[in-house]
Amino acid sequence: MTAIIEARQLQKHYGGPLAVRDVSFSVTEGEFLSLLGASGSGKTTTLRMIAGLETPTGGAVLFRGRDITHVPAAQRDMRMVFQDFALFPNLTVWDNVAFGLRLRINRGRVTQEEIKARVGRYLETVMLSSHARKMPHQLSGGQRQRVSLARALVTDPPVVLFDEPLGSLDASMRKSMQLELKRLHRELRKTFIYVTHDQEEAMGLSDRVAVLQDGRLLQIAPPDDIYFRPNSAEVARFVGAANVLEGVVESRGDGVAVVRLAGDARVEARDNAAGVAVGDPVTVMLRAEQLRMARAGTAAAGGIAARVTERLFLGDKVRYELRLPGSDTRLTALDTGDRGGFQLGDELAVSADPQHVRIIGRSLPGGVPA
Amino acid sequence: MSAGTLAMGRDRRQLLLWLVPPLLWFAVFMVIPYCLLFYYSLGSTDYMTFKPGFSLANLARVFQTEPYLSVLLKSARIGAMTAIGATILAYPVAFCLAFHTRSARSKFIIYLLVIVPWWAAYLVKAYAWKTILGTSGILNALLLNLHLINEPLTLFLYNPFSVVLTLVYIFTPFSILSIYAQLERIPTSMLEASSNLGATTFETLTKLVIPLSLPGVVAGAIITFALATGDFIAPALVGGPDALMISNVVINLLGVAFDWPMAASIGIVVIGIGTALISVAQYLEHRAQVRY
Repeated sequence: MTAIIEARQLQKHYGGPLAVRDVSFSVTEGEFLSLLGASGSGKTTTLRMIAGLETPTGGAVLFRGRDITHVPAAQRDMRMVFQDFALFPNLTVWDNVAFGLRLRINRGRVTQEEIKARVGRYLETVMLSSHARKMPHQLSGGQRQRVSLARALVTDPPVVLFDEPLGSLDASMRKSMQLELKRLHRELRKTFIYVTHDQEEAMGLSDRVAVLQDGRLLQIAPPDDIYFRPNSAEVARFVGAANVLEGVVESRGDGVAVVRLAGDARVEARDNAAGVAVGDPVTVMLRAEQLRMARAGTAAAGGIAARVTERLFLGDKVRYELRLPGSDTRLTALDTGDRGGFQLGDELAVSADPQHVRIIGRSLPGGVPA
Repeated sequence: MSAGTLAMGRDRRQLLLWLVPPLLWFAVFMVIPYCLLFYYSLGSTDYMTFKPGFSLANLARVFQTEPYLSVLLKSARIGAMTAIGATILAYPVAFCLAFHTRSARSKFIIYLLVIVPWWAAYLVKAYAWKTILGTSGILNALLLNLHLINEPLTLFLYNPFSVVLTLVYIFTPFSILSIYAQLERIPTSMLEASSNLGATTFETLTKLVIPLSLPGVVAGAIITFALATGDFIAPALVGGPDALMISNVVINLLGVAFDWPMAASIGIVVIGIGTALISVAQYLEHRAQVRY
């Protein structure tokens, strides 16, 4: 598979720290790639450089192998869906969707009948046929975003860019739009590049997720890799509820490494990291939902002692904040369906399958508990 | 009566108390003067003294006797040319201010450059054009020094053109601010969306920016038209005999001929035409206004 879009060491400098630094990745034809990051991570700037709405201060953007870094936005074969919809308020829904096609009629690339057919078809696709004559301000947020989607798709672009398209919608509307986007991607087989700060959205929609922080690309991988095999503590912390702990490798053997944490607690980790030796300071990660909890002193007990310091009922699950006695180490645990039923102040024993505890890298000396 | 309605009654009385000063102001400075205007227009003069009466003869004279109607039409023409000129000059400035000025500081500087001339007296600004366009003015001096002409030209000053030029110079800020206020409402993402869909700058301008800024253009044109049509300083200073405007005629009727009924009648016609034009323009402005 060939890359349809390639970012090559993209850089953007506004004055001050670099907004985007040396971001490189490629997107294959038909892929759904999400750029995930907090605000200020450079994800939107990266997308805008691909769209041609920002000029990179370094690096290049390639489209099917051709350098398009300095091609104006209007001449790029990609359409963008904006967070604020960016509908044209002086035009009806129909005219908004037809806007891109009508520009082509002047250039003899499309006929009047074709425009009519295609606008009609795409309004149907986004279920807005009955609203064609309305003005944008008469529509709800979700409907406006669907107009903007139809307007982007109607010109049949090979690449569609999304800049936090669901960011200004309420939660239930966001959920239904996510399903719609997923369906559209499957049906249209176009390349989608999608910027979001919502990790659930990124993981649920995408074939691959690129995690950005402070202008740097931390990891680009399929969602399950990002979730279970993060390449750094930053990625682990950003995606899902993860416990990221510092420790020192005490022993190795049978594919299991024993890591000593602060307060002399020990965890067994999957010995996956090559180049880690006994005595090395390391960072280990354990997903909150993979932490096992039992009441201290019961038969199921084993592992590390911990006390419940906070209990948050989240409906389908309960989130516990735990603290290991004799140290500052805090843990987060998720209990699906509230099977444990623990209360604030309960003394627990927590453990984990060594297969779920991952060494995600050597930590810097100094950040290690003595 | 319940306590609630009692409280509401008190609120209403308080509201009325607050409204008294503005209503009084409105009555003394708006309603009464208009009534006086009507009163004078219906009367007549007898050897320069006003005689009350009830006759529409003066109003009819505005349309029947020269030079009133032709001066009125000329004033409107100068007003329209001023409005057009001001709009043409103002649009690029407003556009630049709205879309091409990124830093708040340079925005402030341009804004200031637009506003600052208003701190100078109107008379001074109008007079300045005399020193530019006059026979011993800057323009003639430049042309003489460049040896393009042998003797000073008189055609720059004392004609309708110099009046329009002066009025455009003075009233353009109104157009700039009113167009800018409209352009500023256009989100940048909308222009980006347009170019993202393949529109050239020209297409974005004609399909989106200009239609969206139309209410501001119309509002600016109404203000400059009204101000210019009723102006009397520019024609008096740089106008010359050909460029006499309706306000100058009214001043002469009041101060020289003591024909107050005629002056008041012209005032009523001007107000009537002005109200009609502004109503039409407001209707157009309202129709062109879009909701974001």
